[in-house]
Amino acid sequence: MVGWEYPPFHTGGLGVHCYEICRELGRMGHRVTFLTPFHGPFTPTSGVEFRWPGGPGTPEDFPYAYETVSGPSERFDRSLTDYNRWVADFVPETPADIVHVHDWFGTVGAINLARRLKLPLVMTIHSTEYDRTLGHPGSDLLERERRGLHAADRVIAVSRHLKRQLVERYQVRPGRVRVIYNAVRPPERLQRLERAGPIVLYLGRLAAMKGVDTFLRAAARAAPLVPEATFVVAGEGPEYPYLLTLAAHLDLSDRVLFLGRVTEEERTVLLAGSSVFVLPSVVEPFGIVALEAMSAGVPTIVSKTSGVAEITQNTFAVDFWDIDEFASRIVELLEYPELRSLMGDRGRWEAIRSGWPERALETVGVYAELMASRASGP
Amino acid sequence: MKIVLYLHMHQPWRLARFRYLDLGSGRPYFDVPRNLSIFRNIAERCYRPALVRLGQALDEVSGFRFSLSITGTFLEQAREAAPDLLATLRALVRTGRVAIAGESYYHSLSFLLPPPDLAEEVRLHSEVIAREFDYHPKVLRMTELAYSDELARFADAEGFRGMLAEGWEGWLGRASASFVYRASPAPGLALLLRNYRLSDDVGFRFSSREWSEFPLTATKYARWLSDSPGEVIGLFLDFETFGEHHAASTGILDFLSALPHEVVRHPNLEWATVDEAVEGPAHGALSAPNTITWADQNRDLGAWLGNDLQNSAFQAAKKVGALVRLNGDPALLETWRKLFTSDHFYYMYVSGHGADLGVHQYFSAYGSPYDAYANYMNAVTDLRQRAVGPGRA
Repeated sequence: MVGWEYPPFHTGGLGVHCYEICRELGRMGHRVTFLTPFHGPFTPTSGVEFRWPGGPGTPEDFPYAYETVSGPSERFDRSLTDYNRWVADFVPETPADIVHVHDWFGTVGAINLARRLKLPLVMTIHSTEYDRTLGHPGSDLLERERRGLHAADRVIAVSRHLKRQLVERYQVRPGRVRVIYNAVRPPERLQRLERAGPIVLYLGRLAAMKGVDTFLRAAARAAPLVPEATFVVAGEGPEYPYLLTLAAHLDLSDRVLFLGRVTEEERTVLLAGSSVFVLPSVVEPFGIVALEAMSAGVPTIVSKTSGVAEITQNTFAVDFWDIDEFASRIVELLEYPELRSLMGDRGRWEAIRSGWPERALETVGVYAELMASRASGP
Repeated sequence: MKIVLYLHMHQPWRLARFRYLDLGSGRPYFDVPRNLSIFRNIAERCYRPALVRLGQALDEVSGFRFSLSITGTFLEQAREAAPDLLATLRALVRTGRVAIAGESYYHSLSFLLPPPDLAEEVRLHSEVIAREFDYHPKVLRMTELAYSDELARFADAEGFRGMLAEGWEGWLGRASASFVYRASPAPGLALLLRNYRLSDDVGFRFSSREWSEFPLTATKYARWLSDSPGEVIGLFLDFETFGEHHAASTGILDFLSALPHEVVRHPNLEWATVDEAVEGPAHGALSAPNTITWADQNRDLGAWLGNDLQNSAFQAAKKVGALVRLNGDPALLETWRKLFTSDHFYYMYVSGHGADLGVHQYFSAYGSPYDAYANYMNAVTDLRQRAVGPGRA
C-alpha cells in the first residue's frame, strides 16, 4: 500500500482511512506493506509493516496530506520525486498481489511499481485537487492525480459525490470506480461533562473548504435565541486569523471559543460533551468527523454536499450557503429536547451499525475482482 | 348482502419550511402553491378519472350506489385548484345514490379533545357539506376511522344515526364484521364495520405481483363478495387508491368501472350507501373502551402518537389550542385547526427500532420525521406567541 501519513500523526480522512483499513486487513489475515515517506512513529498495527526511504525525510520535506502547500517549493518537488522513485524501485520481501495507492502523492511511483511487478493497481481517492483548492488546482498535483486515476485498474472513491467528480472532471469511466464510504469505530465509553450550558461544536481544520465562516455567521444568528449556548471551534488551520477577526466583527467574542489543535483525548471529551455538531463544509468528500459526532450520540447538522450526507438519514442536511437554515437547525435542536434526544439516539445507531470491517471487506472485494480477472485474463 | 363502497377524500394543508428564525416574522405556515400543485397532480391522475368512472357506473348500473367522505381542507383546496371536481361531485350527489359521511372538518386529531371542541369541528364539516352539496350527513366517520365508546356517545348526542369503524378481530372478538351492530353505550347508534381483508385486497394488494391472487379482476372479486357470509360488507378505502396509490397503468380504474356491473350479476348482492346500511337490522351491541383506528398492524394511534416527537408535538399543540381559544381571534383558531390535522403528526412517525425511517416516508411531505417535527414545532411556537400577544411571549 502506497500511502502518505499514518496515525498517530495525521491531518484528516486519509490517515484514518489507511489505518482502519490496514487494521481490518491485518485482522482478516492479509499482510500489508505500507510505504510512506515518514519515519514514524506509527501506531502498531498487526499484519502491517512500514517501509520508508531511509534518507532524511522530515515534515518540512513532506507536508501532511491536508496542510496547505504554500506554493510550489523546489525542495518539496525534489523530495516528492525522490519518494516516487524509491516507491517505483521498491522490492517487496514477499510476493505481493495488489498495489494500492492513496491520493496523488505516490501515484507516479505506484504506477511504475505495479507495471514492474505486473500487479493490478488500485487507487483510493479521498479528495481531489479541485476540492482542496476550491476549484483552483495546481497543475503538477492535478497531473499526478490524473495519471493515477487513468492508470489504476480500479478507483475507489469515498462518496458518490466524489465519484461523480472523477467522472466529470477527470473523465474516469464510471464502471472503473467503486464507492467505499468511510466509517467510524464506536467509542468505548462516552464521557459526559457536567456543564453549565449547551455546546455547539465545529471540529476540524480551519480551511476555506470547511465553511467555518458559515458556522460563525450561523452562530451569530442563533446566539441571541439561545443565550445559554457556547459555540466552540476546535482545530487549527490557515483560516484561523480570518475567522478570529470575523468572530469579532460578528460581535461573537463572548459566545465563541477557539480551542486550536485538540488531542485525541480532548476530541473524545468534546464530542461527547456537545449538544449539537455542525459540519458546514463547502466541499467535503466524506467528513468522518460527522460520523464520530453521531457515534457519540450528538445530533449532527451536515452540508448537503458532504459525502456523509449520502449515507445518513438521522441528520439535518443543509445547503452549505444557507446560513439561516444552519442557524435555525442549531436552535431547533437546542430548543426541542425530544428532537435532540431521538436524533442523537438513532444517529448513534446509524453511525456504528456498519463500520470499518464492512469497508475493508468491500476493499478486499475490489482486490478479489482484479485478481480473478487477471487469473482468467490473457 | 349489502355491499357498501365508501371512499375517503382528503388533502391536508402541508406546511412550508418555517424556520426557527422565522418566528415572529409573519411568514405563512402553509405552502399554498405547493399544496395546490400537489392537488392538481392528484386530481389529474386520480380524482378526475375515478369520479368519471363512478359517474358512468351510476348511469349504467341502476342498482349502484356508493358513499364518500370529503374533508373541509380537501374542499378548500379543490375550490382553488380544481373547481370542476366540485361540480362533478355535486352532480353525483344529486343522483340521490351517493351519500356523504360526516367527520371533522380538518381531518384532525380533535377526537382526542373535549367533546365541545370536537363538536365544533364536526358541525363545521356538516355545514360545509350542506352548503356545497345540499346534503346532511347521517353517519359519522372519525379521522383515521377512529372509534370508541366515548365517540359513540358523542355521535349519538350529535344526532348521527351510525358510525363507521374498523372491523378488526382485536376488538370484535368473535363477532363478525359482516353485520350491523348497535353501539353499547348508545343503543340508538348503528355501527358499520370495515371488512379489512376485502378492502385491503383492493387498497394494498391490487398491484402486488407477489400476491397469489394477482391479477385481481372485478369478476373474481365480485365472486368473493358473493361467497362471503353475513349481511353487509364494508369496503372502506382512500379515494386515492384509484389512480394514485395504484397508478392507472395497473388497471385499477378499469377494475373500478367493472365492479358495479359484476356485483349486480350476483342475485345475493346489492349496493348500499352508508346511510342505507345503518338502517338495517342490528345484531347485538359492541363495546370499545379503547380507541380503534384503521392504521397499521395494531389499529391504534401509534402512527400519530407513537413516539416522543409526536407526543410532544401533540401536547404543545393542545396547549396552544387552549391559548388560541382564550385569545378569541377566529383567524388564529382556523390556523390552529389546520395545524391539528392528523397528517402533520403522521409525518413525524419513526418506524421500528432501527435507523431506517420506513414506509411512512411514502406518505410524508418531508425529508424526514425530524424535519417534520422541527418545522411543526416552529409553527406552533409562533402561533403561541401570536395568541398570547406581543410582549407576553
